Amino acid sequence: MSIKPDCACTHPCDAQRRTFIKVGAGTLSAGVAYAIAPMTAYGAEGAGSPSAPTVNVTPLDAVKENAVLPFSYPDADSPAVLLRLKGPAQGGVGPGSSIVAFSVLCTHKGCPVSYRPEHKLLICPCHWSTFDPVKGGQMVIGQGSQALPQIELRVKDNVIQAIGINGLIYGRHTNIL
Amino acid sequence: MSAETRVPLPPIGAQKFSTVCQFCIVGCGYTVYKWPVGKDGGPRAQENALRLDFTRPQPPLAGEWISPLMHSVVADRDKSRHNVAIIPDKACSVNEGLSSVRGAGLAQTLYSADRPTRARLSTPSLNDGSGPVALGWDATVELGAAVVKAVMDRWGVDAVGMKFFDHGGGGGGFENNWAVGRFFFSSIGTRTASIHNRPAYNSEVHAAGDAGVGTLTNSYIDAGLADTILIVGANPYEAQTNYFLAHMVPNLQGATLELKKSAFASEVVEAGRMIIVDPRRTMSVSTAEAAGGADRVLHLQIEPGGDIALLNAISRVVLERRWHDIAFIEDRTERQTFEAYQRSSLGVDRPMREFVEDAARIAGVTPEQIFKAAEWIARPKSDGSRRRTLVHYEKGLIWGLKNYENIASIVDLALLTGSVGKPGTGCSRLGGHQEAYVRPPYPGGRPALNVDEAVRRGEVKCYWIGGCNPVLTTLRAEALEAALVERGLPVRKALAATRGKPIGERVGAIVDAMKAGGMFILVQDIYMTATARHAHLVLPAAQWGEVNLTSINGERRLRLYPRFMDPPGEAIADWAILARFARRLRQLYLDDNNTQMANRFLDYEWKTDEDVFIHARYQFKGDERDPAEGFAGVTYGLLRSLGNNGIQTPVRMINGRPIGTVRLHESGRFSTASGKARFIPAPRPWAGYAAKVERQRRDNRFWVNNGRSNHIWQTLYHHEHIPFYQDRFPAPYLEMHPDDAKSLGIAPGDLVELSNDVGKVQALAYPSSAVKRGHTFMLFGQPRGAAGDLVSDHVDPATTIPYYKGVWASIRRIGPQPETMRGMSLMPMNVAL
Repeated sequence: MSIKPDCACTHPCDAQRRTFIKVGAGTLSAGVAYAIAPMTAYGAEGAGSPSAPTVNVTPLDAVKENAVLPFSYPDADSPAVLLRLKGPAQGGVGPGSSIVAFSVLCTHKGCPVSYRPEHKLLICPCHWSTFDPVKGGQMVIGQGSQALPQIELRVKDNVIQAIGINGLIYGRHTNIL
Repeated sequence: MSAETRVPLPPIGAQKFSTVCQFCIVGCGYTVYKWPVGKDGGPRAQENALRLDFTRPQPPLAGEWISPLMHSVVADRDKSRHNVAIIPDKACSVNEGLSSVRGAGLAQTLYSADRPTRARLSTPSLNDGSGPVALGWDATVELGAAVVKAVMDRWGVDAVGMKFFDHGGGGGGFENNWAVGRFFFSSIGTRTASIHNRPAYNSEVHAAGDAGVGTLTNSYIDAGLADTILIVGANPYEAQTNYFLAHMVPNLQGATLELKKSAFASEVVEAGRMIIVDPRRTMSVSTAEAAGGADRVLHLQIEPGGDIALLNAISRVVLERRWHDIAFIEDRTERQTFEAYQRSSLGVDRPMREFVEDAARIAGVTPEQIFKAAEWIARPKSDGSRRRTLVHYEKGLIWGLKNYENIASIVDLALLTGSVGKPGTGCSRLGGHQEAYVRPPYPGGRPALNVDEAVRRGEVKCYWIGGCNPVLTTLRAEALEAALVERGLPVRKALAATRGKPIGERVGAIVDAMKAGGMFILVQDIYMTATARHAHLVLPAAQWGEVNLTSINGERRLRLYPRFMDPPGEAIADWAILARFARRLRQLYLDDNNTQMANRFLDYEWKTDEDVFIHARYQFKGDERDPAEGFAGVTYGLLRSLGNNGIQTPVRMINGRPIGTVRLHESGRFSTASGKARFIPAPRPWAGYAAKVERQRRDNRFWVNNGRSNHIWQTLYHHEHIPFYQDRFPAPYLEMHPDDAKSLGIAPGDLVELSNDVGKVQALAYPSSAVKRGHTFMLFGQPRGAAGDLVSDHVDPATTIPYYKGVWASIRRIGPQPETMRGMSLMPMNVAL
């Protein structure tokens, strides 16, 4: 017997996958067939709560191949990094959908992770949790309790803007303090 | 759960519980906050139960953070809805505020009608072939007990077979283990008993018992005090995570020097070293190197079956160099066993160099590595003091080629070097589950009966499985499942044919089916697992958090894991299920005027979890005779007062007060009649393969090692209902060397099939440099692909322990990575620097 279905429940097992695909500019081309998570990370978190700011990160042309660009989003206490990867990535914008951005605070104990281009991974020095920037910041192995929060980007007038966050940044009970 | 971006904070006055993680052996401490939905606390320190300022971000490491995974909403029986947040406990000495990826998700394992854990079993039910039909407990117990009695009366007690957990933590605990033991051993009296992960009722480490050495001998602090930590057949970053991260890593990093100086006033101390014996370059190897530097880590990338040769060769070098602990051996071991050990295991009649070179060849390492290992383990320090070496082992040895001698050779090395009973030393299992063993004696012998075989042969008429999933985890798993199906069918038909009939008639029809080879199956669990699907009676159990339970972790730390919510529907504690059946069986025997049998089912009147705990406690005197799990003098009240640091067993009564034990054998006494430890001979460096294993090896290209992974727990009984866990590995992965993958036209993520004479299974290819050419590694026990389907039914004849690690299979590509699995990262899982 090859696959033993071990679940009598009726929900589709990938319906709540924590990924997203941009439709329109920067569409991921691989034709992946999983559900699109609702974009509740962006904009209103509930009546009266502040929405995620739109922040200019860098001109598109300034992002060369293999770029690693630190910035802050949604505020100065939230370090982030913008990466231009070698190929298309989930949530990528720009040429070949290769530009992505993440909070760099590890989802284990909040140490800042570093992008290691030789491994193509974001790695935390504290307990070595590693995150895959091509797969939406998925934790490859490690002790974090969430993918690395991915910062939603868009290109407007040739400027890369950060416009929202998918996931909760370490150390916060809400992203917008 | 879509990307949650706000987590509610517990208010002042939220209910607060100290508890211990339900998962791995480490047993990290956690704090549970529970408060009504809609009554959240605020971000200012005086507004929330954590008393922390969340208006600003929490700092790294020292800060506290409720991640979305740590929070969920549950409903109690009265329908009131509550937030639950479960966060690591900074005050617990085990984890010091760290969570592992598994413990971080405890809140997601809680039952909720609004989440996938709605799949929980909540009603006792009967399955006569048309799907589960709810019965109440009364009808379930009436039928089940009548069948059990009929089997006992007609075929004898041994025709009642069982396979139950015997561990601690979730799905176990002292209370449940006591009830299981009383019911099956004292009351029924069957010998046809087996344990969750093996087909018999035996020790995983008989040789350690024979040597008189315990299995959890040290405290976690000893990992910080050791000069060298030897890890054989284990991957602690992934499977004993916070023991590794909170205790071993700081030693490698040199962060425990002050601790060492304060413990060892005048001894030379330095940052620790680590030796890892593992066929894979695991994350443990990479992170140990990252922590201590590659020059302080020795990875012996062993060939399967090479353990005995390797360990004995290291021991031979230690002996030859006069680095062994002569005083310890003379005072604390049986002299004649030491002499026999030298002759039989250490080959003292042969030149050392030759002995070492032979061992190196068998083990797939170099002689230089063997000499280096011996130095790191036993060469005196620069001031002449003895090296303190902590010796750890786990399933690589236990499920290895020759269980008995594997364990013997490592225990012997520990005894040779005096590495037990002193600070900074120990000879211990690393452990998988937590522990909580307290049972009346097993009525059978040793080597124990192979229950899987008894089931297949039709000798088991009634098979009762509790809290485990052999269809996914046992050896020759397809054959076991086929037996459940084939033998279950006549009973199913009998049940269907007697629907609505009086119970006597139903039982009569079932007995007729059994005469024709049928088997009645009861499964006691929390989900409809691959095994539960084959049951006639499904008994819903309550889980961690829904009952009070007690357990010990890898350093014997006993704690209370309190109840903080209601179980779903009619689910009750495992002990309560068995108690109901016991009371009913007593009544049935009284109705029969069989007082003798009826009296075997006395004393099941427990009302609370603590009643069972105290009943079990009568086993313990609080003196030297108690086993390592002894908890004399302990009550739930005491455990509540001790919080997450608990008390370490065995608990001794000294001047009427319960006192814990930091290390076993510290007084020098071992668990033998003489009080001295025994060297156990492991003479054959190469045990050779059993014929059926040799056939597999000969006919198939790849060795299929199998084991656990950091991210998910066991058979995914919870984790397949939690996207964060299920999505990482939607099907079991198979690590294979990239060149091997290329040679078979296999790309990362491709669906592959492994096959051998035992069975077939599918997996997702995960090319990795962690494994050598010709070696692979597959996640075990997975619902979408059970490695057990490939494991031959060979067992070590001396111990009835399977050779789970001894699988050889052929591999072929079946197709590309399934569309629904394309979100899974295939990046290397052993990168640290």
